[in-house]
Amino acid sequence: MDIKNRLFDAVIAGDAPLVEQITRQALEDDVSPEALVNESMIPAMDSVGERFQAGEFFIPELMIAARAMKAGMALIRPLLAARGARSAGRVVIGTVFGDQHDIGKNLVASMLEGGGFEVIDLGFDVAPQSFVQAVSEHRADILGMSALLTTTMPAMRQIIDEIEAADLRAMTKIMIGGAPITQRFADEIGADGYADNAGSAVSMARSLAAGL
Amino acid sequence: MTPRELVTRTLEFDSPPRLARQLWVLPWAVQHFPEAVAELAERFPDDLISSPAFYTAELPVRGDRHAKGTCVDEWGCTFENLADGIIGEVKRPVLAEWSDLDRLRIPVERLTVDRGRVNTFCRQTDRFVLAGTVPRIFERLQFLRGSENVFCDLMDQPQELRCLIDRIHEFYLKELSVWAATEVDALYIMDDWGGQQAMLISPVLWRSIFKPLYAEYINVAHGRGKYFFMHSDGYILDILPDLVDIGVDAINAQIFCMGPERLGGQFAGTITFWGEMDRQQLLPRGSRDDIREAVGRMRETLYRDGGLIAQCEFGPGANPENVFAFFEACTNE
Repeated sequence: MDIKNRLFDAVIAGDAPLVEQITRQALEDDVSPEALVNESMIPAMDSVGERFQAGEFFIPELMIAARAMKAGMALIRPLLAARGARSAGRVVIGTVFGDQHDIGKNLVASMLEGGGFEVIDLGFDVAPQSFVQAVSEHRADILGMSALLTTTMPAMRQIIDEIEAADLRAMTKIMIGGAPITQRFADEIGADGYADNAGSAVSMARSLAAGL
Repeated sequence: MTPRELVTRTLEFDSPPRLARQLWVLPWAVQHFPEAVAELAERFPDDLISSPAFYTAELPVRGDRHAKGTCVDEWGCTFENLADGIIGEVKRPVLAEWSDLDRLRIPVERLTVDRGRVNTFCRQTDRFVLAGTVPRIFERLQFLRGSENVFCDLMDQPQELRCLIDRIHEFYLKELSVWAATEVDALYIMDDWGGQQAMLISPVLWRSIFKPLYAEYINVAHGRGKYFFMHSDGYILDILPDLVDIGVDAINAQIFCMGPERLGGQFAGTITFWGEMDRQQLLPRGSRDDIREAVGRMRETLYRDGGLIAQCEFGPGANPENVFAFFEACTNE
């Protein structure tokens, strides 16, 4: 089997040691790092996301696939950086202040990395000014916010207001998610996108990035 | 008719004269709406209550799980909390590395339930009494290992995972057996298995690992003539047939996450729905009419001469007026 197909399968299977082995072999065989990422790894993670959406994969399958991709990317990233390769976009992500739930946000961050995005993860309980500062400092294409409580959701509106006040709104698309979040809420607060699960977050981020 | 009889007839689909009711009050509600909490208790007293454990040994707990700051529970798990009134999260799991497995602390103090005092408690109330402990094996794994580790463990299936599950399960069997020997009416477990739209793990994986464990817990309960209650948040439709199959008597689930019509079409009359009123949208943002309509849907789709308990959680974000509206609608006020 072609090495790129083997890598594709290994990422989907979540076999991190195999992904590392194949990646190392491929690089030794002068397969370009960009090809490995764009023709194997990202399509594999896209497939993982599609299977999640279709109800075939669940959180454990997503996590081990993301772990496997990270194992390959650990070898590839320095090579890409040295060549000045660009990512699919730069995303600042975090759980809003007052909220410490982060497993969903962590999963989305992993899926976005798997989808070729550069992710700056601010963690949980992130103050509005920290979001603003990170968006400004990293010139983020996308700001992703997560909240799991009905009592912390309102913070998203405040953060969007502060992004606007800092004159960053035109530069940055905003997507939100979390169990109590709805499309209606996203529309009310002026978010650009709402992803209702980790599997759809990547396609949402891609469409937002394309619109920039 | 006593509340105990009312709940029993509900569970047996034996035409109870009204919906049995229970309000779960989280510390957040007590802090923010103490008068409402008091009035709800007076106007709509619970038909189901939990027995205290009356442990004869002190549980080695440090801190308050619902208070801002840090709390260490009897398993040695450290919960960190950003605010008062809600539950904290484990950010630094004690078994993050398998090399730490020997650090597992089984809380044997929880086996020192004073049976005599529990029985006295049960005899002195006419309400339906739940055991004063809630085993939660999937959640305990997460508290000990960290959620992300557990999700990967379930795929990797290292030998250490089996060892850890076996040790926790063995303890929970002992704990439930202690309670089954008392005069409580029901045993009760919980594990949150659902995300917003799907199970957290594949139903196939769940059946291979966790279904047999739950079946053993239910055998402990039914073997001593106790009912078996279970709580599980999120979308759990895919495993509800399994829970019915192994004998869960009452399930507390987010029925509006899955749709009461769909649930009723498949399961009404086979299991008691122990609530709940929707706490994601209706309780915080609905109108009183929305609540009344939702109660009507619950009655129509889930009640079959019983099989429905009016349970509601008064927690973060809930509008107290809607909690009142729920119980008023359930008692046709």
